Amino acid sequence: MIFEEFLFFAVCFVALAVILLSRLIAGPTIADRALSADCIEILCDMALILFSLYSGRSIFLDIALITAIMGFIGTTLIGRYLGGEL
Amino acid sequence: MRIVIDALIVISLFFAFAGTVGMLRMPDFFCRMQSSTNIATLGIVGVIIAGIIYSIVYIGDTSMAVKLCVIGLFYILANPVASHALAKGAYKHAGKSVENLKVDQYGEDMVQEDE
Amino acid sequence: MKKTTAKAVISTFIIGFIFWILITGQAVSILNGKASAEILAAGALVCLAAACFSARFFIHERAFHLFDPRRLGAFLVYCLIIFPVELIRANVDMAFRALSPKLRIDPGIVKIPVGLSSEYGQAMLADSITLTPGTITMDVAEDTEDDNKTYFYIHWIDASAEDPQAAGEAIKGGMEKYIRRIWE
Repeated sequence: MIFEEFLFFAVCFVALAVILLSRLIAGPTIADRALSADCIEILCDMALILFSLYSGRSIFLDIALITAIMGFIGTTLIGRYLGGEL
Repeated sequence: MRIVIDALIVISLFFAFAGTVGMLRMPDFFCRMQSSTNIATLGIVGVIIAGIIYSIVYIGDTSMAVKLCVIGLFYILANPVASHALAKGAYKHAGKSVENLKVDQYGEDMVQEDE
Repeated sequence: MKKTTAKAVISTFIIGFIFWILITGQAVSILNGKASAEILAAGALVCLAAACFSARFFIHERAFHLFDPRRLGAFLVYCLIIFPVELIRANVDMAFRALSPKLRIDPGIVKIPVGLSSEYGQAMLADSITLTPGTITMDVAEDTEDDNKTYFYIHWIDASAEDPQAAGEAIKGGMEKYIRRIWE
């Protein structure tokens, strides 16, 4: 049994990520841009999880996990750099 | 069961939408950060619980459910660390130009340490 | 920099090995009795090497503290009942705050006292506060000269109280009591 609505929800999450791109472009400071990039990564992760459920292949879950780890490392690195602790 | 899964995803879509709107509307960086926590907590947790139910009931693949659990656990453990590092870095980077705060006891204590 | 002790290495190794089993998808095969020995052996090697390098960052005191069943029970109750209730309430509050036509925000950075002496407890409380939308832990002030208490600096989106005690009551809620039961 395949749930077609998973694709619809995944497209909704990606649309939210596209809306957030405006904050990535307009954000007045560096920290704003880093934060919105982190949020875009989380939203794309949710879309990936939903697509993995739709197609029934667990390789996309591995990709989602790697993306999450990369986003965490990047955000922490930018934060430490801005604070002058690096 | 299908209704439960759809309801969970709709709830998480609502919270993700609220977080996005908050990100666009809030006036300064720290308030935006509070809004973004909305996306990273209930947004992702709703999708993951729905995925666990779906993969156990409809696919019958338990390893997928375990992998989803690991992703959720990782988000819950790692997101506060990243938020804290970014907030502290942004405060120090902005220097004394952090605006529209009602009280700022952190800045007061930092000034006292410098003297 | 703390020194690496054998207890800390063993404790880190156990946690790392559990994560290895979960990520490689061996959890179900172990229950069925057909786990692959090569994968488990490779995991043990990797986890041992990683534990030797990273134990001193994770474990500073009382390595086997959480393996006590009573504490583990309190930990599960906190993670499954107490914290999700706080999380959902704060999430709904924050969502309607962002969606309401007039932005009802009143941000400020307040300083609240923390009554926990254990490092793990402080870390857990700081993580819980940061995960709750509306509050972010910004810094920790340890052992100030006036009194030997620990303080958190918290960015709060609705700073209704400036006094440290009242703000602490409003932010921490019932979380601190349970965390003290787990870690003290």
